[in-house]
Amino acid sequence: MSLYLDLARAHAPAVILGMLLVGAALALVTPNGRASWTLALAAAIAAVAMAADLSWRFLTSGAALAPDALLTVDGVSAFAAPLIAALAAFVIMAEGAALRERVARTQPYAVALHLAGAASWIGALFAQDLVGLVVGVNVGWLALTGLVATAPERGALNGALRMLTAGGAAAAFMLAGIGLITYAAGGGAVNAAASAMISSPQMATLGFVLLLAPLMLMAGAAPLHAWMGAAYGRSDATLALTMGALASLAVIARLAAVAATAPAVAEGVSVVLVSVGIASVLIGSVQAIGAVNVRRLIAYAGAAQAGCVLVAIALESPAGLAAALVQVFAWGAGAFALFAGIAASRDAALTALDGLGRRAPFAGVAITVGALSFMGAPLTIGFLGRWRLIEAGVGAGWWWATGAAIVTSLAAVFYGGRLIERIYFRRATEAAAFDLDVWRWARVPVLAAAIAAIACGLAPSLLLDLATRASMLALGLGA
Amino acid sequence: MNAELALAGVLGVSAAQALLVLALSRPPGLRDVVHVLCTGLVAVFASYLVYAVAQGETARIVLAQPLPNVELAFAIEPLGTLAAAVLAGLGFLHAVHTSGMVRATGQKAPARLMAFSALTTAAAMAVMFSANLFSFFVAYQALALAAFPLVAHVGDDEARNSARTFLAVLLGASIALLLPAMIWTYTLAGALEFQTGGVLAGRVDQLSANILLALFVLGIAGAAAPPMHRWLTVSFTAPYPSLVLVQGLAVLPAAGIGLLKVFAYVFGSALITAAPATQILLAVCGVTMCTAALIALSKTDMRERLAYSLWAQSLAAIVGGLLAAPAGLFAAALQIVATSCAATTLLMAVGTTAAVTGRHNTLDYPGLGRVMPWTFAGFAIACASLIGMPPFSGAWAKLWLITASASTGVIWAAGLVGAAAVLTFAHLGPLAANAFAGRAPTDAFKRPDGASILLVAPVILAAAGTLGLLVLADPLASFLSPVWTPR
Repeated sequence: MSLYLDLARAHAPAVILGMLLVGAALALVTPNGRASWTLALAAAIAAVAMAADLSWRFLTSGAALAPDALLTVDGVSAFAAPLIAALAAFVIMAEGAALRERVARTQPYAVALHLAGAASWIGALFAQDLVGLVVGVNVGWLALTGLVATAPERGALNGALRMLTAGGAAAAFMLAGIGLITYAAGGGAVNAAASAMISSPQMATLGFVLLLAPLMLMAGAAPLHAWMGAAYGRSDATLALTMGALASLAVIARLAAVAATAPAVAEGVSVVLVSVGIASVLIGSVQAIGAVNVRRLIAYAGAAQAGCVLVAIALESPAGLAAALVQVFAWGAGAFALFAGIAASRDAALTALDGLGRRAPFAGVAITVGALSFMGAPLTIGFLGRWRLIEAGVGAGWWWATGAAIVTSLAAVFYGGRLIERIYFRRATEAAAFDLDVWRWARVPVLAAAIAAIACGLAPSLLLDLATRASMLALGLGA
Repeated sequence: MNAELALAGVLGVSAAQALLVLALSRPPGLRDVVHVLCTGLVAVFASYLVYAVAQGETARIVLAQPLPNVELAFAIEPLGTLAAAVLAGLGFLHAVHTSGMVRATGQKAPARLMAFSALTTAAAMAVMFSANLFSFFVAYQALALAAFPLVAHVGDDEARNSARTFLAVLLGASIALLLPAMIWTYTLAGALEFQTGGVLAGRVDQLSANILLALFVLGIAGAAAPPMHRWLTVSFTAPYPSLVLVQGLAVLPAAGIGLLKVFAYVFGSALITAAPATQILLAVCGVTMCTAALIALSKTDMRERLAYSLWAQSLAAIVGGLLAAPAGLFAAALQIVATSCAATTLLMAVGTTAAVTGRHNTLDYPGLGRVMPWTFAGFAIACASLIGMPPFSGAWAKLWLITASASTGVIWAAGLVGAAAVLTFAHLGPLAANAFAGRAPTDAFKRPDGASILLVAPVILAAAGTLGLLVLADPLASFLSPVWTPR
C-alpha cells in the first residue's frame, strides 16, 4: 500500500489529473443526475487532498517528482493547484442545486464539464512544455464555454458564443506565441526562455506577449473582457468562471516568473502586464460602480482585482510574485463568498438583495465579508493582499503601484457599500424571493469561503510563508 | 481586578452588550436595563484603568498578528485611558438618556439603535487603547462601519444619503490617505508601535515628514480637518441618541485622540521637521475654525448649528496638536475632553427639548428655559464651556491653547482661537440667555407629562461633569505628562 502511495506521490500531478478526468468520465456515463454529481464531488475532493499533499511537500521540503514524470511542478503551480482543485470542489458542491434546474439530459454533461475544466486548468499549471500549457488552457476555456452554454437562463448562449469567439482568437494568438518563443529560444519547454540563449529578444518578447494576452482575456482583465458581461450576467456558471479566471492568473504568474529569469524579455513582459493591469483596475472599478446586475458587478470588481494581481506579477520580484499569489487567494475567497451568497437570491438585479440580511442572515454575512475583503478592509485576506502589493511596490520603487491598490479599494467602498446597504438597510420587495433550495447547497462553500477570508486575515502566517516559498522557487531562487 | 482584565472588559463588554441588547429586546424594560448596566460596567473598568495608569501599571492585549512585526494589540497609556474614562462615564449617562429618548419619541427599532451604539462605543474604545498604528487603523475603520447604521437609522432617503456621505468620507480618506501613510511609516521605521518620543523620530527626512503629516491629518477624517469634514455636517439628520454618539462620544473625539496619538507617538520630536506642513495646516485649520463658527451663526436648525459649532471645537484640538509642543498637546487633549463633556450635555439637552416640545429651531428656543429649567441649566453650562467662558472646563482648554500658541511663537494662532471663541459666543450665547430671559411659551409641551427623569437627570449630571473638570486641570496635566516625557 505504501509503495503505491509513494508511486502516486512521485507522479502526483498526473494522478490529480487522472482523478479529475476519470471522475468526469464516470459522471458523464452515470444516467442519474444526483449520482453523477456525487461521483464528481468525490473525485474533486480526492484531487484536493492529493494536490494539497503535493503542495505541502514541495513547498516545505522541496520534494521532487519522479524523473520520468509526465508533468512538472514549480512554485506557482504547487501553490495554485490545490487552490484551483478546492475551488472546483466548492463549485461542484454549490452546483448541486443548479442541477435540478438544468434540462435532465444535460445534467451529467454539466458535472463532467466542471471536472474536465478543473483538470485542464491544473494540467496547464503542471505542463512541461508550452504546447501542453496552451492545450490545457484552451480545453479548460472550452469546458467553461460549454457550462455557460448549458445554463438554463435565457441569453446564456449569447455569453457562450462570445466566449467561443474570444477563445478561438486566443488559441490562434497562443499558437503563434509558441512558434515565436520556440524559434527565438530554440525549444518549447516552459522554462526554455530562462535557460536558453535567446537569439532574437524582440521575437521572444512578442511570443510571450502573444501567450499572455489571451490569458489576460480569460482572466477577465479589462479592456480584454468584452465576453464577461454576457457570460457572467446571463448564466449561473459564475463560480466556475471565477475558477477559470483564477487559474488563468496563476498560469500568467507561472509564465511571468519564467520571463523574469530571462533578462532579454523580462522588461517587455513587465510593461505589458503593468499596462493591462492599470487599465483593468481603472476600467473594472468604473464598471463595477455603475453595474446594476449584481453578477456583473462582482465580475467587473474581479477585473479590478485581476488588475492588481497583474501589477504585482509585473514587479517580477519574489515580493511581487508572493503578493500576486496572496491576492489570487484573496480574490478566490472573496468572489466565492459573494457569488455563493447571492445565489440565495434568484434574481441577479441589485434590488433583489434588498432585505436579504433578514431573509437569509448567513448569505448576508457572506456577502458582507466578501465585499469587505474586496475593499481591503483590515482583518480580511483582501487587506493582506493590498498590503503585500503596496509593500512590494514600494520596495521596488514603484510608488504608483500604491495608487492601483488604493483605486481598487476606494471603488470597492462604493460598490461594496451599495451591496451592504441593500442587504441591511432596505426592505425586501415582493419580487425578491429567497431560494431556500439553492441556498441549502451553496451554504457550505459560501461559509468556507467567508471563514477563509477572515481566518487568513487574522492569522496569515502560513499563507504568507507558502506564498513566499512558492515565489522564491518559481523565480529559481530556492526556498 | 487587574489592569489587563479591566482592559479586556472595556473592549469586550460593549461588544457583548450589542448582542445582549438584540437578544433581550423584549420586554423594553429588560433591554434598557441591560443597555444601562453594560455601559455602567464599561465606565467602571475604564475608571479602574485610570487608577492603574496613575499607579504606573501596564497592560497589553494581543488579539492577532496579521503581519510580520505588526500585532493587533491594545494597551493602556495616559492619553487614551483618560479620554476613554471620560467618554465611558458620559456614555453611561447617554445610555440612560437613550432609554428615555426611545420611549419619549417612539423611536423605531430601538434595540438596533442601542446595539449599534454599543458597537460604536466598543470601536471608539479600541481606538483609544490601540497600541500601534495598525490597531488604530483597524479600530478606526470598525468605528466608521459601526457608526454608519446610526446615521442611516431613520431610513428615509435623506438619512441614507447622509449615511453614504458619512461612510464614503471616513472610509475613503482612511483608505486613500491613512493606509499609504501607515505603510510609508512602516517602510521608514520598520515598526508601527506607538512609542513616547515618536517612532519616526530620527528616521524621517523633512520632505517625507511633511507629506506624511498631511496624509495623517487628512486621512483621519474623523477629526474633521478641512476638506474632510463633510461627514460631520451631513450627519445632523441622525436621531438624537445617534448624534450624541457620533459628535460627542465616539467618532469625533476618538478620531481627535487618534490624531493626537499620531502626533505624540508616531511623530514625536519629528513633528518639528514637518514644517511647512504644520504651518500650512495650522493656518487652514485656524481659519476654518473661525469660518465654521461663523457658518453656525447662520443655521437655524439646532442640530445643524451644533454640527458646525462642534466642527470648530474639533479644529481647535487639531491646532493644539500641530503646535508641536507639550503644552499644545495638553491643550488639545483637554480641549477634546472638555468638548466631549459639553457636546454630550448640549446634544442631550437639545434632544430632551425636541422630545418634549417638538422644537428643533433656534427661533423657537426663547423662553423654554422657564418651563424646562433643569434641562436649560445644563444647556447653558455646556454653551458656556464650549464658548470658553471661565470658570467652565472649556476655558482651561482655550487658555492652554492660547498660552501654547504664544509660547511657540505662533501668536496669530492664539488670535484665531480667541476669534473663534467670540464667534462661538455669538451663535450659542444669545440662545442660552434668551431661553431664560424670553417669555415662556404657552404651548411649550408636546407631551403633557413633561420630561421624564430619564431625559433630565443625564443632562444635569453631564453638566456637573463639565464643571467638575474645572478643578482637575493640574492633576490632568500631571497624569498626561508621560505622553511627552518618558517615565
